[in-house]
Amino acid sequence: MPAAGVVLLIAVVAVVGALVWFLVNTILALKTITDGLDEAIAGVGEIVAKTEPVNGVVTTINQHLDAGVSALEGLLVKKAGLTDAMGLIDGLYPGAAAQGLREVPDSTGVRVPRIGAVYTRGTLTLARLGREAPIAAASPNGPAVRNPLYATSSASALYPDARQGRPAAMPRSPVIGTDAPVQYQPTDEPGVRRHLPGRTAVLEPPGSTGESGAPPPAPEQREERSSRWPPLIPRWKRF
Amino acid sequence: MTLYWIGDALLIVVILPVVVILLRGVLQTAQGIVPSVREVARVAHAGSKDLDAAALLLTTQQQAIDTISTVADYGGSLDVILDDHEGA
Repeated sequence: MPAAGVVLLIAVVAVVGALVWFLVNTILALKTITDGLDEAIAGVGEIVAKTEPVNGVVTTINQHLDAGVSALEGLLVKKAGLTDAMGLIDGLYPGAAAQGLREVPDSTGVRVPRIGAVYTRGTLTLARLGREAPIAAASPNGPAVRNPLYATSSASALYPDARQGRPAAMPRSPVIGTDAPVQYQPTDEPGVRRHLPGRTAVLEPPGSTGESGAPPPAPEQREERSSRWPPLIPRWKRF
Repeated sequence: MTLYWIGDALLIVVILPVVVILLRGVLQTAQGIVPSVREVARVAHAGSKDLDAAALLLTTQQQAIDTISTVADYGGSLDVILDDHEGA
């Protein structure tokens, strides 16, 4: 065989060998790609299957929520009126009045009263109940009570007190004066009276308080006690 | 004979490099796709797993319906016991 034929044969073999090498590797890579795509397609299929009922479920939830919002908006406007309703909404959620009510297009043009600046949030929650709320108990048949001057005390009266003594169980202020039904005698010591109306002597004799033998305070001690600040003034002298 | 040598030279200098270059490009491109496809498969599997909680939407739907029903009952009661606004 001539030398040129041998070289040609080697060149052809080299070309075929290169073809085989690259094509086999390409086939292997494509096989890997195919397997990966099969796995991806399976995952996407699961996603499609799992998200299939989501649209209907979310649509149903939104429909019910829309119905609830419409009913509550209508009820609020019906009971409180559009202006007060917007004031209540803006008091509970500042800035919400600017968006207006969804079912009441005119609500965006309402001049919102500053109910939130007068009452606390808890009071507003009670006020949403309408005229039956304690905030409006004074005028069950009229407009809600909204006193900007005494709003703080009105609001605080709605919260429970630890003593539960406001206002019914609070002791009444004593009636004073010369024509008072109960006459109090002046005292020498703050908080100690010689006699209380309807009772026996309050000023205990020395030795009966458990400190037997303890002498009465010296005059200078009395002077020191009486010069304390703030001065303890007997109640009857305050008026 | 001279033509044989010319053919050999053409085969070795031109055809073989062209074949190698082209097939190498195809192989590199195919091998570059493999990591991307594996990542796509992994993400698809993870996404499918994340959607396992989608079945709870049915419970959410029922609870929303129950809640709205309760609110509607409450609103109906308020509508009965409270006076309407004067302008209503």
